[in-house]
This record gives sequence, C-alpha cells and structure tokens, in this order.
Amino acid sequence: MTWQVLLSTMLLQMKQSFVRPMFRFCLLANPVLNTILICEMFRSSGRTDFAAYAVLGAGLMGLWCCICFSSAGDLNRERYMGTLSLLFAVPAPVETVLWGKILGNTLLSLGTLLLAWLTAGVLYETWAIPARPGWLLLVLVITILCFLQVSVLTAWLLTLSRKTTLYMNCLELPVVFLCGFVVPVEELPAWLQAISNLLPPTWAVRLLRMAVAGVPDENAFWRCLGILAVLMLAAGLLSRRCGRAVDRRVRVLGNLEVC
Amino acid sequence: MAVRRFFSQACLYTKGRQAAFQWEEFLLLEAGYPFLTLVFYCVLAAYSFRTANLSHWVAGNALLLCVNTCLFRLGSAFQGERRYGRLRSILASPASLLAVVLESGFFPMLLSAVTAAGGFCLGSLLFGVTLRHAPWGLLMAVILTAMMAMTGLGLLLSALSLLGDGMHFLLNVSQYVLMIFTGVQFPVDQLPAAVRWISGLLPLTRSVRAMDLLLAGDRRGWIPLAAGEAALGLADCLLAAGLLRLTARRAMKTGGLELF
Repeated sequence: MTWQVLLSTMLLQMKQSFVRPMFRFCLLANPVLNTILICEMFRSSGRTDFAAYAVLGAGLMGLWCCICFSSAGDLNRERYMGTLSLLFAVPAPVETVLWGKILGNTLLSLGTLLLAWLTAGVLYETWAIPARPGWLLLVLVITILCFLQVSVLTAWLLTLSRKTTLYMNCLELPVVFLCGFVVPVEELPAWLQAISNLLPPTWAVRLLRMAVAGVPDENAFWRCLGILAVLMLAAGLLSRRCGRAVDRRVRVLGNLEVC
Repeated sequence: MAVRRFFSQACLYTKGRQAAFQWEEFLLLEAGYPFLTLVFYCVLAAYSFRTANLSHWVAGNALLLCVNTCLFRLGSAFQGERRYGRLRSILASPASLLAVVLESGFFPMLLSAVTAAGGFCLGSLLFGVTLRHAPWGLLMAVILTAMMAMTGLGLLLSALSLLGDGMHFLLNVSQYVLMIFTGVQFPVDQLPAAVRWISGLLPLTRSVRAMDLLLAGDRRGWIPLAAGEAALGLADCLLAAGLLRLTARRAMKTGGLELF
C-alpha cells in the first residue's frame, strides 16, 4: 500500500512538474545556460580542475534549482489547490506522499547533470570523463539520497509559512554558495566554512568532485563519506521530528490552509 | 488627472505586493538576496579569473541587481492581472496597456535604483574597490540610463505574456542571456563572432563599459555609450507599444486571454 502510494505520487508529480514553465526552465534551460556562463568564466583560467567545477557545478546548480522551485513548494501548491488538508486526513501517511513528490522531482532533475555534461562536451569540447566511474555511481546514489533528505526537511519547514515563494527564491543561491557547487568551500571565510561543513550537500559535492577529478588519498574519500553519512542521519532524524511537529501543530491550530 | 491616476495606481500596486511581508522579509527579498547574488558572482569571478581587482564585476553585478525588478516586475505585470481577473477589463477599457505595466513597476524600479547603488557601495567595501575618486553623479547617471534601457526590454517582454503562460521560463532565460551576452561576467570578445552582435542589441552592454571607463578615470568615453543605451531603451519602448497592440488584438481574437 505504502509503495503504491509512493509510486503513484511520484509518477503524478513528474507529470505535473514537467508542465510547469518554471520547472521546465530549471530542468532544460538552466543547466545549458549555466554551463555556458560558468565555462566562459573558467575558460581562460587555466585551471586543471575545470571540468570538476564548471561542468559538475552547472549540473548541480540545475539540480538544486529544480529542488528549490519544486520540491520545497509542492506542499504550498497543494494548499492553493485546496488538497493539502486532504493529504493530512487520508489514511496514507502524508510523509509518504511528500517523499513520492520529492522523489519524482529529484529523479527528473538528474537530467540537469546530463545536460550540463553534454553542453560542455558539444560547445566546449570538454568531455568530463570521471576518474573513478565506480565511485561516481556510488556517490550519485548517495547524493540523490542527500538531496532528498534536504528537500523533505525544507518542504516541512515551508509548510508553516504562507510566503513559500519568497523563501524558495531566497534559498537557491545561499546553498549553491555555501556548499561549494562552483567555488571551493576553502575559498570562503573561515566562519562561513564552519557553517558550510555542517551542511550535508557540501560533503556530497566534495565526494562528487573527488569521483570526477580523482584523488591521491583514498582515505580522504572514505572519510568524507563517513562524515556525510553521519550528517545525513542527523538530517533524517531532524526531518522526522520536524514532520511530526508540523503535523501536530497544524492539527491543533487548524491553520493548515491559512498559516 | 492622468498623472495622479498613474501614481495612485502605482501606490496601490506596491501596497498590494508588500502588504503580506514583514519589514525583515522585505529587506531579505529587496536587499539581502540581490546583494548575495552580487557577492556570489564576484567570488566566482575572483576564483575563475584568478584576480583580486574586482571593480568590473562589482559595478557590472550592481547593474544586474536592477534586472530583477525591471525585467521580472514589468515582464510579469499581466500575469498578476490575469490572476486577479482584471485582464479582460483592462483590454476592454481605453486605458493604455503601456501605462498599466509601468504603474506596476514604478516604485519597485525606484527601489531597485537604490538597491543597485547600495549594492555597488557595499560590494566595493567588501571587495576592496577604491571609490575615493569615483564620480558619483556620473555613476548614478549611468545606473539610471541602464534602468531606462532595461525598462524598455521589460515592457517588450510583458507584451508576450498576453499570448501564453510561459513567462517564468522566458524571464529567467532572459536573465541568463543578459549575464552571458552583456559582458558583465566575462568579456564580450570571448563570445563566438557569429553571436557577438546580440550584445549590441541588449541593454546593459554599453552601461557596463561606461561604468568601467568611469571607474578607470575616463570622464568622456562614457557619454556616447550612455547615449546609445538611452536610444536603445527608447527604441525598445516604442517597439513594446506596437507589440502590445498586436498581442492584445491577437489574444482577443483567439479568446486566449485566460486559457491558451
């Protein structure tokens, strides 16, 4: 039953997301335009890690853009359609529906990584070949899980506000900046690095970069993976507690439609 | 009478849009987020171009701050009217469509001029750009000319919103087109020759060069550039007036104002 709900929600969400012009921008136009912009900025830099930053960075920015402008605001869209209270009232847990929605969006959003890779290859003849394909596959799965968890947590928190659009807009760039999508975290001031290191996507991005560019010290890879696992576990627990607190709060106050 | 109506409508639009926000949310959206965008692209430029002299990027990205307002507010003006159910009344009345779009963006545009100037000062402080001998009056004149040109583009794009529901797509693509083709983030000469001509048709290209000249101490070179920018803005406004008539007529003919 739970799997059926998860699967049907996921498929419906994929269809619904794809018809929205903003999602189509995030999915199709953003990775292409971002890759052109970042590749042009990096072109004359002479950096050897060009592919790891420009191509991967553009793809990840597209992925996060899709998550920000869809997953984070999906519960708010249900609110506008008048179906949010039904989701909380039906026997299927609202958490399952939320995971289904976010899973659908995230799977669709993975296309941004492919588009960024293709754009860099076709326009700039930079075919980023991963140094460790096995690691890349493993890290991609973990990165999907990491972004899913961050999306669920964000979606729960945004359920409590009627100004979701404002926060969605304000959420995109800080994460790109703090998690080192295109500029290494080490370039940021020390106090920002401390915040950055507490965010799971920072470690997922580090792992992805290691898998693409290669790393001389294998232990560093496994250490990063360990830290990411701990942070994801903490985020998972926080998300669960947050979900329960939101669920209880909206039932007690009866303000699901008009927070 | 028409002027009073313009300002009362502009006030009403602004009140309607800001009423739901607390002052800290207002600051976050109008000042915090645009400034963060400026910081992000300056840090990216410092890393990718391996340079410590960021005056070009601080000035260029400060100008880009007004994109958000001019482009998005004007470009999506009719979308808001469609949502309120007022679009049919506007088209049926003798009210000027151009005025309706400008009313909705007037105060936000003024605010964005302040944001651009503030962003430029804060960005300069943060990235160590020397402004001791900066010609403030001339810099402000360039910012205002750039805004005028951007208003023209915003009006032009707003005309297209009468034909479909893809404005979010179009406006976001336009924002990236401006970042790629106007020389804000990297020199226009880097672009392939086949597409370089697009830069000349876009607002901001000349303003970015004018800002660079002024910051380099050239007090004359900016004049033809600013004049070119103003002419482009005027041409876009005229084009927008014609296009608005055409798209409104087409939307009425096909009955596709609310559904496409």
